[in-house]
Amino acid sequence: MQVKELMSKNVITVTRSTTLKALLTMFIKFHIFPLVPVVDEQGHLAGIVSFQNLLNVFRPYNPELLKAVPFLDEEGEDNIFHIDLTEEVGNLVLVEDIMEQKIVSLREDMSIEEAFNLMKMHLKEEFPVVDKNNTLVGMIGVFDIIREVFHQKGVI
Amino acid sequence: MNTVLGLGFILLAGFFLAKLLGKIKFPSVTAYLLLGILIGPSVGSFLPSDLLNASALISNIVLGVIAFGVGQNFSLQNFSRIGKSVLWISVLEATGAWIFVTVAFLLILHQPFYIALVFGAIASATAPAATVMVIREFRSKGNFTDTLLGVVAIDDAWCLIIFAVSLAVAQAIYNHMLAGFFLFKVFSASLLTILGAFVLGAIVAALLSSLSKFLRSQAELLILTIGFVFLTIGLALRFHLSVLLSNMFFGAVLINIDKTPLKFFESLKTIDPPLFLLFFVLAGANLEISILPKLGLIGITYLISRVLGKMCGAGVGAHFARAQRNIKKYLGLALIPQAGVALGCALIAKNDFPDVGNMIFTTIIATTVIYEIIGPLCTKYALHKAGDVALQSSSP
Repeated sequence: MQVKELMSKNVITVTRSTTLKALLTMFIKFHIFPLVPVVDEQGHLAGIVSFQNLLNVFRPYNPELLKAVPFLDEEGEDNIFHIDLTEEVGNLVLVEDIMEQKIVSLREDMSIEEAFNLMKMHLKEEFPVVDKNNTLVGMIGVFDIIREVFHQKGVI
Repeated sequence: MNTVLGLGFILLAGFFLAKLLGKIKFPSVTAYLLLGILIGPSVGSFLPSDLLNASALISNIVLGVIAFGVGQNFSLQNFSRIGKSVLWISVLEATGAWIFVTVAFLLILHQPFYIALVFGAIASATAPAATVMVIREFRSKGNFTDTLLGVVAIDDAWCLIIFAVSLAVAQAIYNHMLAGFFLFKVFSASLLTILGAFVLGAIVAALLSSLSKFLRSQAELLILTIGFVFLTIGLALRFHLSVLLSNMFFGAVLINIDKTPLKFFESLKTIDPPLFLLFFVLAGANLEISILPKLGLIGITYLISRVLGKMCGAGVGAHFARAQRNIKKYLGLALIPQAGVALGCALIAKNDFPDVGNMIFTTIIATTVIYEIIGPLCTKYALHKAGDVALQSSSP
């Protein structure tokens, strides 16, 4: 079975220019902040925003830039309670400033076994799905796959 | 003290000393180095000799791991993103320090060319960790900070290339010294080192990438990645290729050919910290305090010519890239800190040139300690002057 047969096709996306305020309001009714794909005008996948990236707002720079740098001390995140942010931050910070660009995406024709394996390898529960032109076509989560397995075994 | 007890002591003492010095805003690297000096043979002599003898082994492993990680920078995607100014400035500040220090050692200190070249190459390294610490502390923001971060993120890569080429040239000169100086031999030896490293890195990367489909868990991923990094280090040593370049090419090829390469780099990060701690403590322990007083002029020449090289190089780079005035004027000054990569290169030089290695290594350790103290101050000054630090810092 291929990823495209199980993925959700109705995906909430944002663009690089979505403001932080709009982003936070969009998911106000969610218990947890989901993995949000960022797309360009042509629908190509440009990056993702996770709750970890929201924490970037409190940092003076985007830590993604320094991923390959050795000997860097990890910065504690507990200081988010002490850092003052002004009201304008909501409109000044854009998705582009906090999104992650080095991401793993799955091809729609990948098998679900391979997709499940990649989730285990990367310790991630969700991945964006793209076609061969890198256009975002859906999202697939670990639950989509597990549910299908239960279904195949006749449990549901 | 037995070896395992020594290891336990180093890790725990390193942890506590880093916490303690962290209170007065010292990077962990400085704490580990100081611990090494304190327990090393020059001062306390607590360190089990087995561990001290394993310095070369540990440094080869750590440098292999670092170089592999630095290879990530060479993804085609990254190059299309980093921008003209970062590229120009990083290449020229690294080359600037290399040329200035080499020339200063030749003309002022009248050192042999191969020694001058090795010092010059080591001078091209910077210490991103110290720079980032200053940026965090002052929560500085703006075009200057962005460019600075871009430069420190990539310039280790240039340093590794410069060092590998210089070392190949220096070794060729050193080994053929008695037989006379043959330019052709020097040239072919360096070319062979680089090409060989590339071929080795590319083959290993292709092998790892093709095997990755058999991976079923994080544990297997970690085992396979470490196995291949060690394999590359070992083969590089066996065939006299550069450990640094082989592993950097390994990382660089892997990031471009594998479909999901990030997992390899991220899995290695889980074992980095204790290895890095051990590496710095052993580096500190290798310092020979007795030869320190003889190094006065060498140390001063190195300190000053490196700073001038960084400043001129960054200035020229910024000029070529038509960067803003504050970047042209102050960016070089923000690049003064020196730490891990320079120490690693110095350790290699220590092993490769037995008669002058100690002098090179001790100079680099001593100047690293000095740079780690004055470097962050220079970075602070540069950030203030460039106008990227707000009047008040908002961190507690």
